Amino acid sequence: MIKVQGLYHSYTHDHVYAVKNANFEIAPGEIFGFLGPSGAGKSTTQGVMTGLLPLQQGVVQVAGYDMRLRQRELFNKIGVSFEQSNVYSKLTALENLEFYGKLFDVPTLDPMQLLHLVGLDGVAKNKAGTFSKGMKHRLTFIRSMLNNPAIWFLDEPTTGLDPAISRKIIEIVKDKNAEGATVFLTTHNMQVADELCHRVAFIIDGEIKLIDSPRNLKLQFGEKIVVVDHRVDDTTKREQFSLVKPDDMARLQTLLQTGKIEMMHTKEATLEEIFIQVTGRGLL
Amino acid sequence: MNKILAIIGRDLKSGTRDWLIIYLSLASILVALLLRALIPSVGESTLSLVVLQDMSPGLLAHLDDQARVSQVPNIAALRERVLRIDDVFGVVETDQGFEIVRQGNENIPMEAPLRFILNSYGREAAPLPMQVAFSDVGWRLSPIKLEGGTLLIIFTTVFGGMLILLNLVEEKMSNTLSAINVAPLHRSQFIIGKGILGFIIPIIGGISAAMILGFSGINISMFLVTVVAIAFISIIIGFSIGVLNNEPIAAISGMKMVYFPILASIFGAMFLPSRWLPILYWSPFYWAYDSMRAILLQEASWGQVSFNAAVILALTGVVFMLLRKKIQHGLQ
Repeated sequence: MIKVQGLYHSYTHDHVYAVKNANFEIAPGEIFGFLGPSGAGKSTTQGVMTGLLPLQQGVVQVAGYDMRLRQRELFNKIGVSFEQSNVYSKLTALENLEFYGKLFDVPTLDPMQLLHLVGLDGVAKNKAGTFSKGMKHRLTFIRSMLNNPAIWFLDEPTTGLDPAISRKIIEIVKDKNAEGATVFLTTHNMQVADELCHRVAFIIDGEIKLIDSPRNLKLQFGEKIVVVDHRVDDTTKREQFSLVKPDDMARLQTLLQTGKIEMMHTKEATLEEIFIQVTGRGLL
Repeated sequence: MNKILAIIGRDLKSGTRDWLIIYLSLASILVALLLRALIPSVGESTLSLVVLQDMSPGLLAHLDDQARVSQVPNIAALRERVLRIDDVFGVVETDQGFEIVRQGNENIPMEAPLRFILNSYGREAAPLPMQVAFSDVGWRLSPIKLEGGTLLIIFTTVFGGMLILLNLVEEKMSNTLSAINVAPLHRSQFIIGKGILGFIIPIIGGISAAMILGFSGINISMFLVTVVAIAFISIIIGFSIGVLNNEPIAAISGMKMVYFPILASIFGAMFLPSRWLPILYWSPFYWAYDSMRAILLQEASWGQVSFNAAVILALTGVVFMLLRKKIQHGLQ
């Protein structure tokens, strides 16, 4: 569905590259997460893939379209939700969607249904300029769904949203993916990536460091740890025990037999921890 | 075509919710109304009279030969007409002869000629104590009205450019240009959709201004050719400034820089001796002025209008080539 080979991009048209030799493929129906800190090259890569930036070097194919040719028909098949909400503030929410819908050559979804989907149907006739940041973000998000895209580019889709709305957005992405949409997700939010993505790529300083599924990454990089809260005298003590190290296993065994355990749970490595482990850098 | 109409519709809808855009759309009409109200009309540089409908036919014919005469049914209507903003004298026949009704603040002292005309009634055969000859300097219109009208109509095209500029700045400010760039919309469709108001506003505004100012006998086809030709350059300038600015004040300031060549061209054409006019040939606004002035005077020929329009378009082409990359880059 998406093929990127040997992608380089320089804003200064020299050897200072924002993206260096990016290579990956995304299969139909896959949710692919692109993870990295600010300035890592995520937006540049997505910019080239969506035609917002020119393809300078390498091969980028999206839905069979060669991005070097920049064929506008491609945009009937893709949807792009931007990190920064970008809607017409003088138009109402409904007018925003109606206008954008007229730009497509394919049938579009009912704007009111989309507004209902993210809880904006009650303010459909209010000007977008009066909306809160989160409401504008939701409007930007559903605008990208208008043409029922086969490939959906989502840039930080849950940023700035309250937990309930974030959950709603995640469920919508899951539903669309279940219907067959391929999703390219750019995010800082590792929990969202972990929950949604079939595979993730870690990108830093313009280079992709690794690509794998969250599960494989956890198995590969995560340490098998059990966290135990137990009573010692009158206080609660928390301890971590490796399930790999013999000493830790012996101590855990003892504690299970003799100790007063209050809580016990396994602790997997998070994607964020793995990211730091792999790249040596945090996400912010 | 539907996509172009969608863009025009969006801009119109958005424009009706922005006071600055509403003002720019109506500015030429408002200024024309102001000009009409404040500037003496062509009629005031000659003699305009209002008389009662029951005036004797002989006197009416005598006055009609030498002045612009209108008739009203009664003295109240006559007074009301005299009191209006333009310069019209009332003439009422009385038992003793005539009574002149005037407002007292007339711009041009025409009372003496009027008395002369009235006194000469019935004495046409009498020898005059002096020889009177009428001549003019070639003006058939109030010069302020002519030059003001020409300037206003050319400025109307700049208002069209400013409208485009403001709509583009809105796109830049809200970053909706990115959303447009990921829609199945060809660049040419976007540019046509955005640019078309830059023609419609000057055409409607220009024709309205011309009609309000009383230039009703002009050749509309020549007028349209000239307005459309000069609108091109305003649109290109509007695009180039609009795509490079992210907020309206800076963009409008940039557009104001265009006023200099317009005013320099027009005032240069008005006041420079003809041997100095070639220094204005670089300016499309000079050629527009040359055409528009002749059109308003009803002296224009298709040869002149076509030649000037071709020069304007050629100069516009040069400006476009200079600004093309900036516009393309700004629309990314």
